[in-house]
Amino acid sequence: MPAILEFRGLNKLLNTYVEALPKLVNSKTGKIHTSYNQAVTATGRLSSTNPNLQNIPIRDDKGKIMRKAFIPSDDQHILLAADYSQIELRIMAHLSEDEAMLEAFQNDEDIHQSTAAKLFKVKPDEVTREQRGQAKGANFGIIYGISAFGLAQNTGMSNKDAKALIDSYFETYPKVKAYMDASIAKAREAGYAETIMGRKRFLKDINSANGVVRGAAERNAINAPIQGSSADMIKVAMVKINQTIREQGLKSRMIMQVHDEVIIDAEKNEIEKVKNIVLESMQKAIPLKVKMKVDMNTGNDWLEAH
Amino acid sequence: MSKPKLFLLDAYALIYRSYFAFIKNPRINSKGMNTSASFGFMNILNELLRKEEPDHIAVVFDVNKPTFRHEMYKEYKANREKMPEELRENIPYIRDMIKAMNIPLIEQEGYEADDVIGTLAKRLEKEGVDVFMMTPDKDYGQLVSQNIKMYKPKRFGQGIDILGVEEINEKYKLKEPTQLIDILALWGDASDNIPGAPGIGEKTDIKLVGEYGSVEGIYEHIEDLKGKQKEKLIENKEQVMLSKELVTINIDVPLDQDYSDLERKEPNAEALEKIFDELEFRNLKARVIPQKAAPAPSAQGSLFDAMPEEEETYSDLDSLQSIETDYKLIITKKDTEEFAELLKKQKAFCFDTETTSAEPIKAELVGMSFSWEKRKAFYVSIKGNDLDLNTIIDLFKPILEDIGVEITAQNAKYDMLVMRKYGVQLSRNLFDTMIAHYLIQPELPHNIDSIAERYLQYKKVTTESLIGKKGKNQISMAQLNPEKVKDYACEDADITYQLKPLLEKELEDHNLTKLFQEVEMPLISVLADMEFYGVKIDSEALKNIANELREELIELEKNIHQMAGMEFNIASPKQLGEVLFERLKITDKPKRTKTKQYATGEDVL
Repeated sequence: MPAILEFRGLNKLLNTYVEALPKLVNSKTGKIHTSYNQAVTATGRLSSTNPNLQNIPIRDDKGKIMRKAFIPSDDQHILLAADYSQIELRIMAHLSEDEAMLEAFQNDEDIHQSTAAKLFKVKPDEVTREQRGQAKGANFGIIYGISAFGLAQNTGMSNKDAKALIDSYFETYPKVKAYMDASIAKAREAGYAETIMGRKRFLKDINSANGVVRGAAERNAINAPIQGSSADMIKVAMVKINQTIREQGLKSRMIMQVHDEVIIDAEKNEIEKVKNIVLESMQKAIPLKVKMKVDMNTGNDWLEAH
Repeated sequence: MSKPKLFLLDAYALIYRSYFAFIKNPRINSKGMNTSASFGFMNILNELLRKEEPDHIAVVFDVNKPTFRHEMYKEYKANREKMPEELRENIPYIRDMIKAMNIPLIEQEGYEADDVIGTLAKRLEKEGVDVFMMTPDKDYGQLVSQNIKMYKPKRFGQGIDILGVEEINEKYKLKEPTQLIDILALWGDASDNIPGAPGIGEKTDIKLVGEYGSVEGIYEHIEDLKGKQKEKLIENKEQVMLSKELVTINIDVPLDQDYSDLERKEPNAEALEKIFDELEFRNLKARVIPQKAAPAPSAQGSLFDAMPEEEETYSDLDSLQSIETDYKLIITKKDTEEFAELLKKQKAFCFDTETTSAEPIKAELVGMSFSWEKRKAFYVSIKGNDLDLNTIIDLFKPILEDIGVEITAQNAKYDMLVMRKYGVQLSRNLFDTMIAHYLIQPELPHNIDSIAERYLQYKKVTTESLIGKKGKNQISMAQLNPEKVKDYACEDADITYQLKPLLEKELEDHNLTKLFQEVEMPLISVLADMEFYGVKIDSEALKNIANELREELIELEKNIHQMAGMEFNIASPKQLGEVLFERLKITDKPKRTKTKQYATGEDVL
């Protein structure tokens, strides 16, 4: 059975990505010219087509290999990838103003390890891999307004254990729970959820009598402000990066945006300047109660830079 | 003399039809309400009154309470999906409209609409009227008689089928329509949760009823039947008999309504006007209560003269044919130069390009349209112009690049990328109607046709009507006569410019102006820069990756074939299913898909 799944995975990778990408290369420029859609997603994030960068696999090592094919424009250039670290959890810390979570980020702790230490009441260096995994599941699950059932499905825990984990999570981060409740209440009142910059997502089912559709709307009421604010932030950063690069007359260019990451085709002798611009623009895009962390790397292809 | 006509309408069936008829392109009014169901139902009703001129009419509703069928069988309609909320909120409006039309609205607790309609039909046919039951529901066929017919709307508004005794008998191979009850009893009805006789095909059911006359007749002759069929029927006798009771329409509902109560009366124009205004049914209002409608905005005569018959049924919108416009083609040297001078004086205008491709990188400029006044627009055709391309570009470049000019455009990034190929850096002082609408209503469609329909009640000329549907027969804008492109291009610019103030106000009302001006608008040129610059791809590396993957796949395939003990196409779900479930028998209970194939999805495996 695993062999069949692996076969399918690789077959899809080969057919949909590896063999399709060369067909998108423009014969005149020798490049792909991805089309970005600014008016497609319900959350406010950008999406792209030809190719859809979002869909390029990143999880497993096999999928990642695709990134090797994305390279700098010539040997005078190098790729710089700048990736927001834990952008959504940081935004949740900001929105909820939960002291414990804010403090963990302020101290630049590994958030999943730190969460695990609190949940399982052990010292951070005693956290096991499994405990960190469960804490990570809870952290990400919470952002999506997940239920105990959903968490159990994702982590393979029993429903009972998942319920206990979530209860203990809310004890650890009490204001996160308050934030979730307030988000739903606010959405119920207004009919929409809102990001830090006021981007709206209408949730017409938030008062539905049907539990299934209402539940989905409630999860969106929690998630939309978090997802949408990270979209706001990345967009502000992009505008700032582009503007500063042009103002300073640099030859480096921003060439991609996908997930929480921007990629620059950086002229080699401008690299330090560009790194500063990117870091500054991304960190200061929208000032929050928690400092944004940006991981930056360079390389001769996207895989190496990431 | 022909007999008087009585029409009995099955309200919810028609309302659902109306709602789903617009499901891909729902009618949303400026308050964000989905009015498809109200609009569709009112349209059906109005068409009916106009075409058939009934003498008597009533609209019958189901009551949302348990009926005698629930008492008989508690699972009755147990798996019914809840009514979608956006449909439900239409119901009070529809009821009010019916009342305002002065049409009796009948409902009877404990019974369904078909029982009420059946009772009225059977009772009133004796009065010497022709009864028409308006419904898409086949079950009504059992009520049909010499004086009672089904008036059945076809799908997608494709007209009406009138089904009398002959039609029903022929369709189900019956001797008389009441036998339809027996067929329905055997068929069952998944949507009503009526079990019927499982394991026997629908055609066989028809044959059995044809042969033995009724369900009872079949059971009397059960010994004549053989094999599975016989077994199944015996096994399910009880539920077949129950099903028969459930599908039988009750024609003895206690009702107060008399023949004279159903006489058609004049509508209450004031009450209707109020509802139409609230729902924003402008042209429907003009049709139903013309005395209340504002005079047509056009000097070309009324909307209805200009619109073809079938359009009228489903359109409630203005269009290029129905309003007066001032659209000019600019193609001579003199006109082009004079127009550039005129444009230079404008501080804000709408700009749109006409090109040969939806992909900006491939697109060639065919012309440019401009508008800064309602119903007035200009189309500068590059094709056929006295001036050559470069001269035209030189004339317009400084105007389009002037940061002091605010340019309104629908999907400005596209126009920006097209113009960039001609060395024009479109001003970054932009108002993009598509993105404005995206911020206001993120989840509705943002194409200009759809926004225009909702905000301006205006139906645009479609791109397809000009250049044909997507595909190899689609022609290019460049192949068209500029005069023909003019109307289309000018309309685009005109409509887009008309939308701007409306969207601007909505942005303001929703506190989205800052996000729009400081983030989304500046982002347009950032994305255009990124797309234009592009990303270099290492084709060699891709080839190597492809080769590695292929080798791994071959290796995996070998292993899988070895385990299966045979060669087969792993990528084919059909073959994989057969190997897994028939050859290897990895489970006794394989799941099946809708098409009866084995399910081999990731979750199943």
